[in-house]
Amino acid sequence: MANHQQAAFEQQPMWAGGRSPFNVSYGKLMMWLFLLSDAFTFSSLLVQYGAQRFSNVQTPIVTKWPDPASIFNHFPFMHGLHLPLLFVSVMTFILIMSSVTMVLAVEAGHRKSKKEVVRYMIYTIIGGAMFLGCQAWEWSVFIGEGATLYGNQFGITEAGHKVFGALNFGDHFEWEPEYRTAGPVPFAALFFIVTGFHGFHVFSGVIINVAVTIMAARGAFDRRGHYEMIEKAGLYWHFVDLVWVFVFTFFYLI
Amino acid sequence: MEFYTKPGEYDAINYIPPAESHGTKELWRTFWILLGITVLDFIIYFVMPHTGFRNFIFIFFGIVKAYYIVGAFMHMKYEKINLALIILVPTVFIIGLVMGLLYEGNALTYAK
Repeated sequence: MANHQQAAFEQQPMWAGGRSPFNVSYGKLMMWLFLLSDAFTFSSLLVQYGAQRFSNVQTPIVTKWPDPASIFNHFPFMHGLHLPLLFVSVMTFILIMSSVTMVLAVEAGHRKSKKEVVRYMIYTIIGGAMFLGCQAWEWSVFIGEGATLYGNQFGITEAGHKVFGALNFGDHFEWEPEYRTAGPVPFAALFFIVTGFHGFHVFSGVIINVAVTIMAARGAFDRRGHYEMIEKAGLYWHFVDLVWVFVFTFFYLI
Repeated sequence: MEFYTKPGEYDAINYIPPAESHGTKELWRTFWILLGITVLDFIIYFVMPHTGFRNFIFIFFGIVKAYYIVGAFMHMKYEKINLALIILVPTVFIIGLVMGLLYEGNALTYAK
């Protein structure tokens, strides 16, 4: 049956209608187009962040954008230590790892191995839940330090000019709150909006993965004869990982 | 027109191309590349002073990571070139948006 369909498919002229010129199913093509529109949504948010940041370089009137290393320097169970970037790197590792288990589930789906698909999907869901937990912790610390949507107490620090890379050789420790002055207002608001929007994508991705895993475990894809639904959920999940790569670059590294 | 065709009949709407497995070797190689670049990001962040060149390196690494995620994980390398083009070409406009708004943002500093 499949060979007969494949032969009929190959005989159709490519652009004459009646077949996909992209050689993918309708659902997968629509998922790609949704991801393209979602890429534009995220890039508009990140570009807004970039414009705000570039318009807040130090001049006599305008305050400087704070150095992320002096703010996101916490790590669970290591209170009071200055550890910039470490926690975010762990979050990045968790998301990359869950992306790998997702792609292994897709690969197992190509081989129609139900057991492996369910196992790798469960690993992926665990990774997504861990990432969400990390983000909740980071938000709670950030809010605990006084960040709000309407104001920002994270400005340039007195010792800021003594910073080389992220290592501080000055007399003051620039991450200590008492050396902070008020900074540009959109900083905290943009952080909440962009990481919140991404976190919501991760959350919906976890929901989609749970639904797809239950379907796979109950044998819905075996009856259907293909595991394409895992591929579609996988495309969404990898896109979430891709967005995190850029959020990580723009919010924490630059 | 009937949307639900009988089994065995050619069905353009619900047709799904047969899936083929390319093995897990390339996926694990991609994972190590992504991990390596992230570690490199981490090292460069601490070693280099904060300059425009360092930002350029980070953005370049971000694009390299995006290439590997889209190409290997999202399977774009094995799709038809038609599909790759309709997805990837519009993202060129994002680069235009970035260039435009960063330039304008710089000008805003002095307009304030």
